[in-house]
Amino acid sequence: MGRSIVRRVRLPFVAVLAGALVLAACGSSSSGGGKGGGGGNTGNTSTTAGAYGTLPAQVGTPKPGGTVSYGIEAGSQPTYIMPITPGADSSVYDASFQYLLYRPLYWTPEGNRAIIDPDLSLAALPVYSNGGKTITINMKQTYKWSDGKPVDAQDVLFWIDELRAAVRENPANFGNYTKGNFPDNVVSATAPSTYQVVLTLKRSYNPNWYTDTQLNIISPLPSTAWNIASTGGPHLDFTNPANAKKIYDYLNAQSKKVATYATNPLWQVVDGPFKLTSFSATTDANTMVPNPTYGGQKPVFSTLKAEYFASSTAEFNAMLAGKLSVGEVPADDLPQLPRLKSQGYNVYGYPDLGFGYIVFNFKDTTDNWDKIVGQLYFRQALAHLEDQAAIVHGAFHDAAAQDYGPVPAVPATAYVPSNAATNPYPFSVADASKLLSSHGWKVVPNGTTTCVSPGSGPTNCGAGIPAGQKISITIPYTNDPPVAGQETTQLASAAKQVGINITPVAKTFNYIVSQYADPSAPQNDNKWQMENFGGFSTDIYPTTDEIFNSGGSFNQGGYDSTEANTLIKNSKFSSDPNAVEKEASYLTQNLPALFTPNEDRIYAWKGVSGPPDSFANLTQFAFTPEFWFVTGK
Amino acid sequence: MIAYLLRRFLSAIIVIIGIMLVTFTMLHIISPSPARAVLGIKASPAQIAGFNHAHGYDRPLPQQFLTYMNQTLHLNFGFSFKLNQSVTDLFKENAGRSALLSGVSVTIAVLIAVPLGIFQAVKRNSVADYTLTAVSFTLYSMPIFFISLVLIDIFALHLHVFPFEASQATTVVGVLKNPRSMVLPVASLVALSVAGYSRYMRSSALDNLAQDYIKVARAKGLSERAVLWRHLVRNSSLPMVTLIGLSIPDLLAGNLITEQVFNYPGLGLLFFNSLGTEDYPILLAYTLVGGILVVLGNLIADIALTFTDPRIRLT
Repeated sequence: MGRSIVRRVRLPFVAVLAGALVLAACGSSSSGGGKGGGGGNTGNTSTTAGAYGTLPAQVGTPKPGGTVSYGIEAGSQPTYIMPITPGADSSVYDASFQYLLYRPLYWTPEGNRAIIDPDLSLAALPVYSNGGKTITINMKQTYKWSDGKPVDAQDVLFWIDELRAAVRENPANFGNYTKGNFPDNVVSATAPSTYQVVLTLKRSYNPNWYTDTQLNIISPLPSTAWNIASTGGPHLDFTNPANAKKIYDYLNAQSKKVATYATNPLWQVVDGPFKLTSFSATTDANTMVPNPTYGGQKPVFSTLKAEYFASSTAEFNAMLAGKLSVGEVPADDLPQLPRLKSQGYNVYGYPDLGFGYIVFNFKDTTDNWDKIVGQLYFRQALAHLEDQAAIVHGAFHDAAAQDYGPVPAVPATAYVPSNAATNPYPFSVADASKLLSSHGWKVVPNGTTTCVSPGSGPTNCGAGIPAGQKISITIPYTNDPPVAGQETTQLASAAKQVGINITPVAKTFNYIVSQYADPSAPQNDNKWQMENFGGFSTDIYPTTDEIFNSGGSFNQGGYDSTEANTLIKNSKFSSDPNAVEKEASYLTQNLPALFTPNEDRIYAWKGVSGPPDSFANLTQFAFTPEFWFVTGK
Repeated sequence: MIAYLLRRFLSAIIVIIGIMLVTFTMLHIISPSPARAVLGIKASPAQIAGFNHAHGYDRPLPQQFLTYMNQTLHLNFGFSFKLNQSVTDLFKENAGRSALLSGVSVTIAVLIAVPLGIFQAVKRNSVADYTLTAVSFTLYSMPIFFISLVLIDIFALHLHVFPFEASQATTVVGVLKNPRSMVLPVASLVALSVAGYSRYMRSSALDNLAQDYIKVARAKGLSERAVLWRHLVRNSSLPMVTLIGLSIPDLLAGNLITEQVFNYPGLGLLFFNSLGTEDYPILLAYTLVGGILVVLGNLIADIALTFTDPRIRLT
């Protein structure tokens, strides 16, 4: 599933009643849990290193019937049903909604592991040949649309042609579109047989990159039901670009009628485990029932209800009242977990793959900031001033994992470099002070540190930094969530101890990402030194392409490293399976930014059970309720 | 009166156009285009340009404003970028319920505050007056979210007397069919409003109790009940008329916190969410409707005053 998104920000909300109770993070054994229903394991739990809470084993055997309810919050509602989602509607929440009805070609994750799950995918893993320029995809023959037609290669080609029509009309018509990437990098897409798709590429790419970031956005569409340009109109040949445009315009127009999602016959043709039976235009709350023609695990319960909540507090109150089967627990409510657990809720949390970071602005020339931040020793000194353990404990209530690079140790992936397993720059004011003083700075604790040894030698401040230079930094941080302010304040407090003056300034998220960003607001390059907007969730192939390469669309701070550029390029184009690990290793050491802890995504559930993986994947923005059954407890 | 109304109508038009111009300009000064906020930080330059072109944000500002005015005159308020619906539909879906919550709360608050204020004025400096004053100040100083959470915790989560959330019906009729679910949200709003309204009422009643006509009424032998209800209430209610008129805009946006806590989607929440996502069509429509309601509220208050106080003439 294409899920490169910015970390969600929550509506700010108030502290709740009840005394605070800090819960310790727990978990020390290796990850467990597999898929598959049945079984009667009781009393067993599986723990994952870095997880919050434990995953209970499946309890009881699946019984038919019952209703499963889950929460959708304001700002996280599904707003677009057709699986070619415009950028304005694109979100992991919208994708989760769509995937209940229309399955993607390749499903990620597998539990809370950032890999493709072959069992839930509609095709076998792709086979690369012809020097990586030909991709053969053999689809499974067990999936059908609810109108009885098979899910086959034509449905994949239909999606590709409709995607081409969409982005040709306006690049913003598909949120996951980047010019030059899929489908632009595909010369031809053919179906030599009913269940086989062959893609011919313009050039070869790193197979891991292409599979995990390009092929995983494909979502087959019913090519014999949706290839129309008007209601009740004739079925068109979608391979004709003019027809493809007409079809896209029609489907897009129908997708704008949210009040008709449950009644429009178009959207009743599904290949996913559920069918939509009601959809509220006011709140986007919806109800689904099992799709009896689904080719995978069929749900055994009767109804899946998505209930709308205007705030995380309202959702949490619903859980306290025992009225919700599954809900997300915001960090603010962690002190109230004992109340939730007393209601019988299981609680589990884990970070999703991605990283948080405080951006360095390498372009600001005001007061020689670009010269200062360009020095690695200085960035290392700042890293030593970041107390991630304290932030995890105090700001996140222990529901977070420390993160030292773009590919953190938690969540566990195959790509984490060895130098990110432990903190290469542990919190130490003494080490920060030593780095500065050994490079020509006179460190004045709680005063003003100045450069006393200008020059470009190994013990000098650095080229272009004059004698008497002070270090004064303004850091705008997003005012929501509050943790960004706490991270920035902690850094400012520690920096003061080595004579670096940091002024945190609260701004809205939108203001920061639009005004303090080199690619989109270069006119403001001299107005900020660092900024803290949060971070990114990444694809399961966690390259920082476009984030840390020169000229990247979201290289906010203008980081420019020839070495990083080469490594990022290798991650995308070379055949080295370890390319992205090497990229991450370099960036962990070279500090294009200050990496910050990854928040756990915490979920609570009650009255339902199933394989542990089907709950673990909630933390990765994936939703597979078809594996659940109602226990009534 | 006709001439007065015509003058007010013309000045209202000017005010509303001014509001539209200021809001439009401010939004575009803060952010010339909402593309980045709507499409996300990872939107490519091509996507940003495509979005801007499709929605006219790449045109000169005066041209954008004229287009906006023209659409507004044709009652076309645009399409929400993030909610995938027309702004008109969104307002229709949410306005009725917001108005119901605010309207019922204001009505109940006034019905309680008027006699309460009169009572406190008549029994001024008594134990009852001091007690009620203390309660009023306590409620008035409490943030609305705190009152709401306390009510939920006690009456919903512990005593199970009322539901923890407001009615989830999407229509006004649907909400009215489940009045029990609206008790707590209304109670939280009333608690806050009564505190303020009753203080105004008390103060106004005290002023009027000192007037000669009250002494004359009593000297004529009227019962105390007749003195209070026939003379004091009407004359003391003039500030309440103004307060109610000024609270008409609250029908639109005043209940954001209540909507959030009690899970009652309304216009306040719609506006707040749109601020965060820079959903310009909703923001512009909202301020326009808000401006109209403010103007209307003031006008209604001024006209109502002429009925309650014959000395007032509109010229």
